[in-house]
Amino acid sequence: MMLEHVLVLSAYLFFTDIYGLITSRNMVRALMCLELILNAVNINFVTFYDLFDSRQLEGNIFSIFAIVIVAAEASIGSAIVSLIYRKKKSTCINQSTFLTK
Amino acid sequence: MAIAEFLLFVLTTTLGGMFLCGANDLITIFVAPECFSLCSYLLSGYTKKDVRSNEATTKYLLMGGASSSILVHEIELQEIVNGLINTQMYNSPGISIALIFITVGIGFKLFPGPSHQWTPDLYEGMLHSWFSSFRDYECNRSIRRQKDHPKMIISWLLRTNQIRWFFFSIFLTCSYGTKVEKIEKNQSFTTTDEGFLEKLRIIVAFLSVTSKVAASASATRIFYIPFYFSSNEWHILLEILAILSMILGNLIAITQTSMKRMLAYSSIGQIGYVIIGIIVGDSNGGYASMITYMLFYISMNLGTFACIVLFGGLPPLAGFFGKLHLFWCGWQVGLYFLVSIGLLTSVVSIYYYLKIIKLLMTGRNQEITPHVRNYKRSPLRSTNSIELSILFFQN
Repeated sequence: MMLEHVLVLSAYLFFTDIYGLITSRNMVRALMCLELILNAVNINFVTFYDLFDSRQLEGNIFSIFAIVIVAAEASIGSAIVSLIYRKKKSTCINQSTFLTK
Repeated sequence: MAIAEFLLFVLTTTLGGMFLCGANDLITIFVAPECFSLCSYLLSGYTKKDVRSNEATTKYLLMGGASSSILVHEIELQEIVNGLINTQMYNSPGISIALIFITVGIGFKLFPGPSHQWTPDLYEGMLHSWFSSFRDYECNRSIRRQKDHPKMIISWLLRTNQIRWFFFSIFLTCSYGTKVEKIEKNQSFTTTDEGFLEKLRIIVAFLSVTSKVAASASATRIFYIPFYFSSNEWHILLEILAILSMILGNLIAITQTSMKRMLAYSSIGQIGYVIIGIIVGDSNGGYASMITYMLFYISMNLGTFACIVLFGGLPPLAGFFGKLHLFWCGWQVGLYFLVSIGLLTSVVSIYYYLKIIKLLMTGRNQEITPHVRNYKRSPLRSTNSIELSILFFQN
């Protein structure tokens, strides 16, 4: 029972955030959704680490790696957001149409 | 815009790519492409002033972030599958789901067929700032000495470390390409202090090539070792990807008017050929053919990016043999449909490569350009060998 609940939670979080990432007009919201996707994956990892034979699968170590990398990516994303904000005074992604045909 | 951070980003990107090629572990397969991608985002957004490159970087970041998250989800599913296999469940649907996720995740990085949308935008945005500055500026002699900086560092690293020659040869040929193009122009470009703006071209060539190499190397390892028992399923998936990318890449490239986008679409088509090599696998030297094709592809792509204004591609020379080997291996294994589509799209690709040559030869008013007329007289002798070697590998 417990396992199914956690799996459903992480699956729901994953797909909701992918939807949010794809359809968000605000760049900051897109970055937040990116973080949440990896959080969903971390939940899954920790649950299964608890369940299986933990000598061979290192689920919790992978969660720590994932957190670190996501933090680095968020910092780079914020740098790019601030770059765009300085130019356009807004963080709306839809406005930039220079490269589309 | 100093040179220090630029070099740092390029080297860290290369490091990430090399870790990916040598990955033996699922954690490394996640961390190394992340290291590669994060530094690539920084490289692509290096020119802060240019709006187009900012936009290209945001697109690259969001697409790369999405693909990394899908890849992470796959790795997590793979871990679950490992746990299940330990308890004797071989043919569970979990394996198929994990397979689909990882194909999508790697598919974003390698950009075959369905997920190719961000590539032309990225190339165009990043090259734009270089291109416009190139046309307006004039040459300065002291700038040429600054060009030696990346090469000095690379040669030092090659002497002191055991580094796989693959990626550093890429970097060397990048800097050679810069030199060749500048000298044979005999003109001018300069900048006041940004002598490294022409390195932007290096960035694009570098990114386009190394990401492909790293991702295809990781794809071979991932698909062949953990997923060995379900090889039929990923054969089908990869076949679909290869067909889509070959057809889409080459057909859309015909209709392009901008050269940068055309190069981007042609590289998408090339990835389709590489995927054939991945499918074939080890049995008939498929991996060897894929690697040789990647070598030719690297030289070709770098040469094209280096000589993006003047020279186009010569009709298939060395790249022909790489393709021949790929198709031969594919035919022997039995992928008749794939190989026939590959042949058709190769013929199509010759069309848009020859368009570049036609542009070179005839110019805008359908008359011979002064470059061709003055070819014998221009002082090209000093760099002839490098140019010829670059041209020879173009396809």
